[in-house]
Amino acid sequence: MSRPPSVIRQTIVTPIILIVVLLAMAALSYQFGSRAFNRTAIEMFINIMVVVGLYAFVGNSGLLSFGHISFMCLGAYMTAWLTIPPVMKSITLKGLPAWLLHTQLPMWVATPISGVFAALFALIVGRIIMRLSGIAASIATFGLLGVVNNVYSNWDSVTGGQGSIVGIPPTMNVWIGWLGAAVAIVTAYLYSISRSGLALRAARDEEVAARASGVDIVRERLVAFVVSAFIIGLAGAFYAHFLSIVNPGSFYLRTTFITLSMLVVGGMYSLSGAVAGVVAISVLIELFRDLEKGVSVGGLTVGLPNGAQEIAIGIITIVILIYLPSGLTRNREFSWRNWPLQRRRLVPPVQTALKETN
Amino acid sequence: MTSQGLELVARDVSVQFEGLKALSDVTLAVPRGRITGLIGPNGAGKTTLINVLTGFQPVGTGTVELEGNAIGGIAPHKLRRMGVARTFQSGRLFRDLPVIDNLEVTGVGLGQSRRDAITEARQVLAWLGISPLAATIAGALPYTDERRVAIGRAIMCTPRYLLLDEPAAGMSEHESHDLAVIIKRIAGELGVGVLLIEHNIGLVLELCERIFVLDSGEIIEVGAPDQIRRSDAVRHAYMGTQRDEIIPALAEQAAAS
Repeated sequence: MSRPPSVIRQTIVTPIILIVVLLAMAALSYQFGSRAFNRTAIEMFINIMVVVGLYAFVGNSGLLSFGHISFMCLGAYMTAWLTIPPVMKSITLKGLPAWLLHTQLPMWVATPISGVFAALFALIVGRIIMRLSGIAASIATFGLLGVVNNVYSNWDSVTGGQGSIVGIPPTMNVWIGWLGAAVAIVTAYLYSISRSGLALRAARDEEVAARASGVDIVRERLVAFVVSAFIIGLAGAFYAHFLSIVNPGSFYLRTTFITLSMLVVGGMYSLSGAVAGVVAISVLIELFRDLEKGVSVGGLTVGLPNGAQEIAIGIITIVILIYLPSGLTRNREFSWRNWPLQRRRLVPPVQTALKETN
Repeated sequence: MTSQGLELVARDVSVQFEGLKALSDVTLAVPRGRITGLIGPNGAGKTTLINVLTGFQPVGTGTVELEGNAIGGIAPHKLRRMGVARTFQSGRLFRDLPVIDNLEVTGVGLGQSRRDAITEARQVLAWLGISPLAATIAGALPYTDERRVAIGRAIMCTPRYLLLDEPAAGMSEHESHDLAVIIKRIAGELGVGVLLIEHNIGLVLELCERIFVLDSGEIIEVGAPDQIRRSDAVRHAYMGTQRDEIIPALAEQAAAS
């Protein structure tokens, strides 16, 4: 019996294409972009991390989550606690335990710790939430977002409350952003080709049949939840180092909905869709940001009112949902040979199915 | 009723839905390596009984035993790992996945690595004679192929028992003959205890050594095919008419498809 080619060899092209394209974007931005443009590029890379993290859970399980931005919050504050100089912490964050107050770690150490912290938190809450299915699970994740936001907004001595914590080393640049996106893509890719990823996608299609096939759905969902929390925790840490300040308002509804629209627009069941959605929406946001600032036409400055950006994204998401419900990528993955090939493979069986029913 | 030996047994099982008795004091045994039939009119409780045996439906009263061990209250995925497999009336394939992955999922669910599961899935597809379907997306399969893939998914890693919920529904006579061959081989070559639920009574009479007849949640007759054929109770429950019409029902089905 000849061994089939391994799953990795059949699918590895997708993450490679994504990472190489992003590398090209990073290089172009670094070479030709202004300082402001580079900041936009970094923001895009961080968003790619968040949305790819969302994909790892939403794409494989089919459960919509409104709670994943709370993992970003957890990651961002953890890196803040770990990297702000002790002198500053002892003034603003008096409530921190002594060992944390006197620690100062470099970004390279603090970031993975932040990811692991978010993952551990997901492991604990996921044990409960993952027992739910469908809309109940989505609402529970929404509750999670609310709870985490409330705690971080009000635990003044540890999180600085509603205000911002300042003094996080601003160590981000385009290359680190690209690296973060690459790590997120590789992690999500490895998860989705894993046994757990396959079993979870089966359960997404047919929950009952998956159970009859020996799949422990609660367990596989939990694995996906933890993996995605890890990725988004990393993204939160990067975001903190990017802005150098954190406040709980950044990790709430607005971010939740923008990242979800990015995922939906790209195609929420594919990794390529997650990345493509972020790139597409980021370009739009940038465009509308300029339009909001105003364009001068013959001495007159014509600008869109503030908030036009959000409205436009809302409208575009709706239009995509109507005309391309499976997103820009139609839930397919980028690869050189698969694209035309898959199409050919898909069409003939449909015809035979029609013949049968006639 | 023999209780020793290798059997999947429901003993005095009753299930109620909101006061409605779906099953009352049902006792049924599925021996290893044999084909057992379960027939009965629509709404008799056949699917409920399968759900009870596979852990999808909690047992009200009574016990379910797998080769001597009580298995009431065990989750469906765990029962599958203990060797109790099933198919569904509606197929329920993983529509977005290719056929090969549909089978692979069971292997993975039972603890195989993806590579081993793919290797085994190929063997099962070849054994069933449907290897050419491997790369087809399951959602695009014609109806009868869907059934065969569902059986393939259920016999991955050779279960001890296989409960088939109307596998021949909508099949032509020729196709259900092919299916009969496959079911015989599953019991004979793989030593699986098969419980066959079917409306195609001809198929059941042809394949099964022992047939249980369920009506309104109660077992009204048990016996060999000949005995079922002659039974007044069965004829009454099924047709409400003369005895000769049981067999013509088969011809009617073949004509309809």
